[in-house]
Amino acid sequence: MPMLALEDFRHTMESCNHCGQCKWLLGPKTKGYDYAEICPIHQRFGFDAYSGQGLLNIAEELLNGELAYESGLIELIYSCTTCGACDINCKSIRDMEVLETILALRSRVVADGWGPMPVHQQQARSVARQHNIFGKEHGQRFDWLTPDIELAKSSNVAYFVGCVASYRYPQIAQNTVRILNAGGVKFTVLDGEEYCCGGPLWRTGQVAAARQVAEHNLAALEKHGIDTVIVSCAECFGAFRDFYPRLGELKFQVTHITEVVEQLIADGRLTLHNTRSRKVTYHDPCLLGRLSEAYVPWHGEIKAFGRHEPPKQWRRGRQGVYDAPREVLKAIPGLEIVEMVRNEENSYCCGAGGGVAEAFPNFSQWTARERSKEAKSTGADAIVSCCPFCESAFEQALRTADGEMEYFDVTQLIADAL
Amino acid sequence: MSLPRDVYAELERIIGSEYISDREYILAGLRHAMPSSPVRPASPAAVLLPGSTEEIQQIIKVCNRRGLKFIPTVSSLISFAYPTEPNTIILQLKRMNRITEINRTDRYVVIEPGVRHGQLRTELMKFGLSYPVAAVGPGGSVLVNFACSSGDNHDQHGASRTNRYIHGVEWVLPSGELIRLGSLANDAGWFCADGPGPSLRGLIKGYAGPFGGFGVITRIAIGLDEWRGPAGMPTEGRSPDYQVRLPHDRHKVFLFKFSTLDQLRDAMIEIGKAEIGQAVLKYFNLTAALLATQSANDFWALWDSGLFQRELARPLYVYLATHSAEEMAYEEAVLREIIAETGGVEVDPAIRAIYENNMDFFILVGFLQRVLRLGGAWAPTKLSADSIHHMFEVGKTVPEFLQEFIDKGLIFDAPDNFQIISMEYGHLAHIELLFLWERNQRNWGDIPRQVMARSLETEIRHGHHATMPPRSMPMLQKLGPLYSDCHIWSTKIGEAFGARW
Repeated sequence: MPMLALEDFRHTMESCNHCGQCKWLLGPKTKGYDYAEICPIHQRFGFDAYSGQGLLNIAEELLNGELAYESGLIELIYSCTTCGACDINCKSIRDMEVLETILALRSRVVADGWGPMPVHQQQARSVARQHNIFGKEHGQRFDWLTPDIELAKSSNVAYFVGCVASYRYPQIAQNTVRILNAGGVKFTVLDGEEYCCGGPLWRTGQVAAARQVAEHNLAALEKHGIDTVIVSCAECFGAFRDFYPRLGELKFQVTHITEVVEQLIADGRLTLHNTRSRKVTYHDPCLLGRLSEAYVPWHGEIKAFGRHEPPKQWRRGRQGVYDAPREVLKAIPGLEIVEMVRNEENSYCCGAGGGVAEAFPNFSQWTARERSKEAKSTGADAIVSCCPFCESAFEQALRTADGEMEYFDVTQLIADAL
Repeated sequence: MSLPRDVYAELERIIGSEYISDREYILAGLRHAMPSSPVRPASPAAVLLPGSTEEIQQIIKVCNRRGLKFIPTVSSLISFAYPTEPNTIILQLKRMNRITEINRTDRYVVIEPGVRHGQLRTELMKFGLSYPVAAVGPGGSVLVNFACSSGDNHDQHGASRTNRYIHGVEWVLPSGELIRLGSLANDAGWFCADGPGPSLRGLIKGYAGPFGGFGVITRIAIGLDEWRGPAGMPTEGRSPDYQVRLPHDRHKVFLFKFSTLDQLRDAMIEIGKAEIGQAVLKYFNLTAALLATQSANDFWALWDSGLFQRELARPLYVYLATHSAEEMAYEEAVLREIIAETGGVEVDPAIRAIYENNMDFFILVGFLQRVLRLGGAWAPTKLSADSIHHMFEVGKTVPEFLQEFIDKGLIFDAPDNFQIISMEYGHLAHIELLFLWERNQRNWGDIPRQVMARSLETEIRHGHHATMPPRSMPMLQKLGPLYSDCHIWSTKIGEAFGARW
């Protein structure tokens, strides 16, 4: 199945009216002066070029041969966290594909030999050699497995761990399997056959490299007869839901650990106990929330006055995993959950996505601090989320922020409450 | 085209390197044709993001000395925000985004240009205060709507036109000189635009607003109204199905339909006389269908059903917002009596439910950009205000010039897609005709010009005045005599201020 090219989004580029909705929170969700902006690059850099609208304009000029490549342009294109807030906001009012255009733009930049940023190229080389984005030994990918963890000898359910939990935050992986063990879920892991999900490569425009590892993972899952993939990383979840279906129809379902836990609690197979009184606020990771709707291919024609033939199924972020993490947190006695202004499909990015943490760490941290300020304004004493990329961003931001605030992966709180 | 290096350096010294750019990829964000226009704006020579009034003064002085034109803008939603010729720089005032004072006693707020409707409207709700929000979406600049463009809105029956809300004004003239108007001029605060200092409120805003031709307004105070709703947007649901319901005992929406425009007009006038209601308007039906649906295909399903054409050809929208349930009972009884006397009947309840479930329509109009969904080629015309009676007379003439465009298939078949909004309890009314066209036809770029010209000819023939005086001199010369020769005055004022337009 061919990937969509920049040319396929000309209608989107030509339809933009500069209305600004890609930069500002949707009206009904706005709660006041603060936290009304939605696009990190626009908020930080100010110029319209730094926004969904600006990237559409840039894409159109590149497509028409009106804009020459230069290093500053490449940096601008890769400063976007591809968080998709612009896309979901725009789609609330327009029939446009802003994020798809941005991803196609990155892919075009790579094809033209101008992208991605050097650090992203390094990631691709690491994935090619060691099958993870850090370049660590592939053989150490499952070093986090401890003897007390029960893996099924054979199961059609697999836990896909991902690079960041495997190498940087092994406690996420360990807590996930402890939770699954406690709930009596029989599962296996791919062990040496698990490669990077490909998400970080895809989102930096390195589509061929991403496809290679994705096809490997698909083959491994098929070989083991897996029909359910459990994921604890939002980046992997987003890749499975959005990228993999572009390679062909998935033969398995993908579910997030919080969805599994929510079901276990509902079935009476798991009970969570009081740990410690805490007021927490939940940060919706982009790739578990608004960008986790399953990809639905559409090939057709846009007729007069916007009529799509055949009708197009729009992905507007409403089907993201929003309720499960909140329901699970509510099930932990002693936890009080308070919401940030920008939540669910309107969540503000942590700053780590789209390769930004690697290429522009200062801007990434600025974004994480912005989000941490919003979290702090709720009166919460901890941020909870489900993404190791977010964890990395918040960990650093909270270390330098005024006032004490902690970060927890949701699996940590669940495991503590077992 | 980039700026000469020495000019760039001079501006950079004023504003700082982070807030100026003439790189082509930065300019790309501000030089694209709107889908409604075949004309591509000239590329700006540079974009600047000033952070203070003082910086703006210095920048303007450099512009004057070095022969540069400048355009102040915030969201850049409308065509006036784009250069028409080279050697023009854009001043985007986004960084000047503070609410510097909310005065609850005297009911005014002082704002900089970068404050947006979404921010201010919801911030003021916390204090039980409000103002007429222009239907431009949450990212539109409040200051621009009040000081520089017309900015009328649905809720002005129980409120007023934006030009009447302006209090103190801080204004950088085209010369770079700073002046303050009204009470502000004598350091007496922001509460009044008239005396003891000079009152030039009519000049900066006037009837339609100069769209920035007279320098840069850097701060204004606007008067505030009471908000009778909750302290926050009571929003439920997820995009794009948001529901905003206000307490039903004090906030109610009614939709009636009438057989003739005269009946509808009489009902509007009587409601004004009774001094009830927050919003009273005849709304667009095509636009209503676009706002009520979530994709172009959804829209077509609704439009093809004929429901909105049938029910909303001559609709009257009424939004009652009261202090108490008793007051609501009174206003509703009065309303129903007027509707019965004027021959109105309720529209299909399914349509009324749309507005009951999403009163955002009467708060922020957060979904307005859905009108662009069919491809974005659209234009408003008329856009002016006069008596209710006069506006309805204008409305009756719409088929005279619009039908031929529909018959030729040049524009969307929606002859009733115009709105008339009652303002100031019926002392004034605003009219706007909105039409859409497709870009896949030959000479599509000429369609809006033709429609507007025919609209104007029709007005002149009838002696009507419902078109906002445009900035183009040939059009102004045609229209000026209907508006006390305003074109002569505006030209003289422009010359007096040395406006570069």
